[in-house]
Amino acid sequence: MAELLGSSSVRSGRASFCLRVVGFVLLLVFAAAASASRDISNGTSKEPNPAREEDPHHRSNTTHHKKAFPVLSFNYEHVRTPFEISLWILLALLMKLGFHIIPRLSHVVPESCLLIFVGLLVGGIIKAIGEKPPILDSTLFFLYLLPPIILDAGYFLPIRPFTENLGTILVFAVVGTLWNAFFIGGMMYAVCQIEGTGLGGVDLLSCLLFGAIISAVDPVAVLAMFEEIHINELLHILVFGESLLNDAVTVVLYHLFEEFAHIGTVTVADAFLGVVCFFVVSLGGILVGAIYGILGAFTSRFTSHTRVIEPLFVFLYSYMAYLSAEVFHLSGIMSLIACGVMMRPYVEANISHKSYTTIKYFLKMWSSVSETLIFIFLGVSTVAGPHSWNWTFVVLTVILCFVSRMLGVVGLTYIINKFRIVKLTKKEQFIVAYGGLRGAIAFSLGFLLTNDKMKDMFLTAIITVIFFTVFVQGMTIKPLVDLLAVKKKKESKRSINEEIHTQFLDHLLTGIEDVCGHYGHHHWKDKLNRFNKAYVKKWLIAGERSTEPQLISFYNKLEMKQAIMLVESGSAAKLPSTLSSVSMQNIQPRAQPRGRIIPRISKGREEEIRKLLRANLQKTRQRLRSYSRHDLMIDPFEDNMSEVRFRKQRVEMERRMSHYLTVPANRQEAPPVRKVYLADDGDSRAVSGRRATQPNLSSPDAVSLLDESSQRANQRSPDPPRRGPELQESQEEQDQLKLSRCLSDPGPNKDGDEDKNKGFIP
Amino acid sequence: MKISPAHIIRLYDRFEFLDKEGSGQLRLEDFAEVKELAMNPIGDRIIGAFFSPGQETVDFPSFVRILAHFRPTDKNRAKDSTQPEPVNSRTSKLKFAFQLYDQDRDGKISRAELLQVLREMLGMQVTEEQLESIADRAIQEADLDRDDAISFEEFRKSLEKVNIEHKMSIRFLR
Repeated sequence: MAELLGSSSVRSGRASFCLRVVGFVLLLVFAAAASASRDISNGTSKEPNPAREEDPHHRSNTTHHKKAFPVLSFNYEHVRTPFEISLWILLALLMKLGFHIIPRLSHVVPESCLLIFVGLLVGGIIKAIGEKPPILDSTLFFLYLLPPIILDAGYFLPIRPFTENLGTILVFAVVGTLWNAFFIGGMMYAVCQIEGTGLGGVDLLSCLLFGAIISAVDPVAVLAMFEEIHINELLHILVFGESLLNDAVTVVLYHLFEEFAHIGTVTVADAFLGVVCFFVVSLGGILVGAIYGILGAFTSRFTSHTRVIEPLFVFLYSYMAYLSAEVFHLSGIMSLIACGVMMRPYVEANISHKSYTTIKYFLKMWSSVSETLIFIFLGVSTVAGPHSWNWTFVVLTVILCFVSRMLGVVGLTYIINKFRIVKLTKKEQFIVAYGGLRGAIAFSLGFLLTNDKMKDMFLTAIITVIFFTVFVQGMTIKPLVDLLAVKKKKESKRSINEEIHTQFLDHLLTGIEDVCGHYGHHHWKDKLNRFNKAYVKKWLIAGERSTEPQLISFYNKLEMKQAIMLVESGSAAKLPSTLSSVSMQNIQPRAQPRGRIIPRISKGREEEIRKLLRANLQKTRQRLRSYSRHDLMIDPFEDNMSEVRFRKQRVEMERRMSHYLTVPANRQEAPPVRKVYLADDGDSRAVSGRRATQPNLSSPDAVSLLDESSQRANQRSPDPPRRGPELQESQEEQDQLKLSRCLSDPGPNKDGDEDKNKGFIP
Repeated sequence: MKISPAHIIRLYDRFEFLDKEGSGQLRLEDFAEVKELAMNPIGDRIIGAFFSPGQETVDFPSFVRILAHFRPTDKNRAKDSTQPEPVNSRTSKLKFAFQLYDQDRDGKISRAELLQVLREMLGMQVTEEQLESIADRAIQEADLDRDDAISFEEFRKSLEKVNIEHKMSIRFLR
């Protein structure tokens, strides 16, 4: 009985919460609507307002009759624009929040559909009030809303699958889009010629223009949808890569047909120029992006003293790349992608861990906001825009889009499969075809058209196609993927084994290709890597990191993440010294700055590691599992499954640690506690002396003990060149240290230990 | 899907090109002539793989047999248990790679063997400790039966997410 009551109260509590959220949101909607309407109505009354502003001042100075000093005044005009913008964004985000509170909804309906629906609702409300709702302005879209999404996609583009499938992607993007455009345009024209449809006024070029606009697969919609279905990497990269690279084709076709739609005829010379233009647009875009990317990488080399502004460089250089490309009517999207791809490996080697996190979070945040706004505005514009519904035209467009996509994919795959090593199966072809969504880019391009008569009809058709693809295809693709048993994405981290073996196989294949005398994929990749290592890295990566092999940086990252993970899973109580599994062997007390032989982590990174661990030791935070859309990439922080694995590893570490302690200190096996090595036996490395005095960051308690003993050890252990007896002494010190460390009970830190921390951390 | 005569002819041309003395057999020196192999960190292992244990020369059939490992996999092959596993199946490819690691052919990649590979790949750029840590971690991750070495099954398991059919295939040999 009590449980029933309890559960029903929970449910009613949840329902009332939902109601409250909805109510609040509606309030915001009204506010937005009211402000939007004021936008229009105040357009005319803006003039008297400032005048009225001036008057009271004058009057109070000249005082015919003294007005009371206004304690509270209302001045909305002052903040109108930012206020409205913020309100819209807030509304969009609250909507997004709301969807994920309502449990069942987000599983069945993809988020993009929900957002469009909300947009429709908002647009309807605004229209009902009697005001004109704001439309998705093309400038706003292309200059502000689209770049963050593309940058996010381009910066985190998985390079390996992309380059492996580049041929396929290009064929789909270029040939596929061309086929779509001409097929749709041509068929539309043919149908328009039929009497009785009332479409006689649409000439060939307009049809082709329409075809060009509607043919391109949209990256925003594809991203939104594919994020939720977790399809395997190959399909994801095929559809997504195609949606990115077809921008060049779309740009060229659009401009070509738009130019000639006015003139009315196209000659062969024009067609030839069109082809040339295509190469210029795409290659030029890539070139512009690459230049800015290199500039960005070069700049990041010098930012070691101004870490705070590092993320800004990444964002600004990329945005400049986009804008510069747009200046020349080159493909802005390709420029942005090229910039991100070019910049990333070097920037990531240079910047601090915090900056990296900042970049990641900001990009995800911006792209999330942009996407939400885009879909909502799509909905609003649907309600707002002038419509001219023509049954034949619209229905035909939808059918033709679908059919041409299917035909195009199947036909092209037949040709492509002759060249692919791993062929595309029928199921995969179907998913690729089905995943060809249209979205806001098509709408914005349509909006830019100037011809009024047909523009409305075109826009209506475009919106219908968008709705069809997003709603129908978006909602049904998930069940279809399950039904067809398409391989899903394997969610897991890259292990060190994979990395080692993959590199090994790369070398192996390069060698075999050399034996065969065949200059294939691996050969060129190897050459590129060598060139990169020999020349480019020296210029673009700061300091010592430039010579660090990829395997080592990967390994370091893994170790650091694991250490932090261990701390967070509350293992501090049991394993005092296992935290040294982070490659922190170069952390030294400030008293003795020494030169490093082979540095592993830069000082900035050490600082961050230290601060991170310190912060984590003081409280155990509850890690929330972030939801699917814009989930940061395979990030061990968010992965609760690895909890189990880490427990296992913890046990493993305990075993090794106990082994480590009982074995005499001379020569250690490399345990996970490995970084805190004792001196090597008579190795001539000067680092060993230094390394023997590693303080351990496991806990503040142990730290204070460490402080004194490490001081002593430091005094005793000599300058690097001298070895021998001093090493023995420091080894004894080490034994003592180890024992004291293990015996002390760190426990979770209470507030009283601040000064201990301060004393330790330099 | 049998290998086509055109491919065999191409491979034979290459074989003849490598065989400077025209003896019909390839020796170590002939392989060493290939400049890029000298730059390859595991070049020696690759060359060694062509030679059967105890043999000093490689004749053309052996040459082709080794290279046949790298033909693209035929996915539609019926899983016929009576026929032997084709040389270019995923398992065979993995086995070939495994044998490159496992030089003493004891069926396991020991820690020392893994260290050797790492040393070859990473060369002079890292310290011995780093190599050892990496080797330890690799074994720790992959070793399921706790024998401190990586057996073929463990090797295969650690590579289950990698698209071996794509990665270990050369288009040239289709």
